[in-house]
Amino acid sequence: MPGLHRRAFLSGALATTALASCSRPARWDRTAVHQPSRSRVAIVPATEYDDRLAEIVLRGVRMFGLDVARKTVVLKPNFVEFDPAGVVNTHPALVAAAIEAFRRAGAREVIVADGPGHHRDTEHLLIASGLYTVLRDARARYVDLNGDDARAVRVRSHYTGLDELYLPETVLKADLLVSMPKLKTHHWAGVTLSMKNMFGCLPGSIYGFPKNVLHWAGIAESIVDINSTLPVRRFAIVDGIVGMEGNGPIQGDRKHCGVLVFGEDPVAVDATAARLMTIDPRRVPHLAEAGRFLGHLADDRIEQIGEPIDRLRQDFKVLPSFAPLKRFA
Amino acid sequence: MIGEALAMLHAAQNRDGGWPTYHGRASNTECTSLATLALARLDAGERAAADRGVRWLAACQNADGSWPLQRDTRTPSWTTALATLTLGSIDREPSSAGRGARWLLRQQPRTPGVLASVLYRVAPHARVVELDPELRGWSWTSGATSFVEPTAYALLALKRSRSRLAGVEVGARIEEAERMIYDRMCRDGGWNYGNSRVLGAELWPYADVTALTLLSLADHRDRGENERSLAALQRMLADVDSGLALSWAALCLAAYGQDAAPVLARLRRAWTRTHFLADTRSIALAVLAMSDGARAVAP
Repeated sequence: MPGLHRRAFLSGALATTALASCSRPARWDRTAVHQPSRSRVAIVPATEYDDRLAEIVLRGVRMFGLDVARKTVVLKPNFVEFDPAGVVNTHPALVAAAIEAFRRAGAREVIVADGPGHHRDTEHLLIASGLYTVLRDARARYVDLNGDDARAVRVRSHYTGLDELYLPETVLKADLLVSMPKLKTHHWAGVTLSMKNMFGCLPGSIYGFPKNVLHWAGIAESIVDINSTLPVRRFAIVDGIVGMEGNGPIQGDRKHCGVLVFGEDPVAVDATAARLMTIDPRRVPHLAEAGRFLGHLADDRIEQIGEPIDRLRQDFKVLPSFAPLKRFA
Repeated sequence: MIGEALAMLHAAQNRDGGWPTYHGRASNTECTSLATLALARLDAGERAAADRGVRWLAACQNADGSWPLQRDTRTPSWTTALATLTLGSIDREPSSAGRGARWLLRQQPRTPGVLASVLYRVAPHARVVELDPELRGWSWTSGATSFVEPTAYALLALKRSRSRLAGVEVGARIEEAERMIYDRMCRDGGWNYGNSRVLGAELWPYADVTALTLLSLADHRDRGENERSLAALQRMLADVDSGLALSWAALCLAAYGQDAAPVLARLRRAWTRTHFLADTRSIALAVLAMSDGARAVAP
């Protein structure tokens, strides 16, 4: 099968693989296709993690006219490791802002849920990162997806060879699932954004730590299959106030970008966030493939609102093996 | 604290006799094993709940000797080691424990293949993840590679079960798994999920995994790696306040003959702050640590 692995970068074959993807046969069910005629993505400046964030997040949510009145909203931040520098994980202040914003928008309940990929000690991760204090002060419920009850769901695209994925009940019961990744480069996937963040929806008690089964099935392949299979309405808020460049997702360097990215189409959101990092999304294998059926990748199919991308674009460093990502076709 | 923790454990036990990770969810093998292990060593009132846990474990065992994560999944899982450890430790259902141990011995985790092995022999530092790919421990799921935590559980279970495995070669499997664990130790001691060095960068250890792993290697306490890892654990504990990490640490220190009292005092304080997020696993381990449980798990 045409691989989407990191070795494609190393062999220099990536550009051919990704850019010629349109000529390959479809590997997804009709039910997986989700491509509106155009997708909207908002880029909103946010320079600091301060008390203005809730207002900014609410403005971003309202740009999309999201109706969350009396709905259950599940916020899925990206918590991987404790990191004293505060660069690895979605900033707790942004999670607090999103809790407040969705409550003000009328949500019946806002749940924060994650299944950290490396750590089983969720309590430590929450306390050390400051998220525990946020949850306590906001009286918000947290669900550790690594230990949540899970149900097998038939896979709707066919990149990993897995027939079904076990998805947590908390996610399956959500009216709206909000992916809240950090804006980061990633040493296996190229970038880790709203789509890669969905790895954390799969219970580690079943898939292992660090979701080992999915690594063997292929990281890019797993990203596409997970995102095509999640049967829940989606929204994304990318934490790009401070991102990470270089050897992400845990050992890269801090990069101030001063931005939040909002949108309903995860492919379009990630493509826009990649462009903000001066990375060509068409050269990121999982984005190139997802752009065929899960959302829009081409910039002429993305209506970009908020700030113009050129005003906030930053030159994110990547590992040498990912240099092709920086060459815009 | 222990009274409150016991009350939470009783409240969380499902009608089927098993325990879920969180109150009201489905029972699973991990939490049922740990809660049963913790309660079976206490007085008669607690042992009644443990008896129901034992029955849940016996009923959920697969025909091949493994345990699934949950009753309705049936797929063999890493939790087999915990169920085997529990039944072996409390001396119940010896036949089940023996079949669990034999299933563990039959497991062969995936290895990255011939090319990876050759590359490791020729240029070990050229691999993106620097570890000896041929050393086998145990994996989280069938068909996956070895990782530290499931290997530590399997070592604890097999070292407990040796006496029930007469005529079965156990030593070589244990010895290879121990070599795998030492191979994956972080530079300054301690363990994380299983990678100590990736793309040339050192990764850092976790307190909970380090304490658990040291416990599984307590029969090698004089080895230099163990001493470095104990020192690393003490350093890590300065920054960790979770029920899971403090409980494993208290069990570990007791098994190594060190003073666990300061860690137990911190465990009590941590309980008042978070109640360990009502996670059955942490609560059960805390009860075990508070009731001199190291002898129930350490080799």
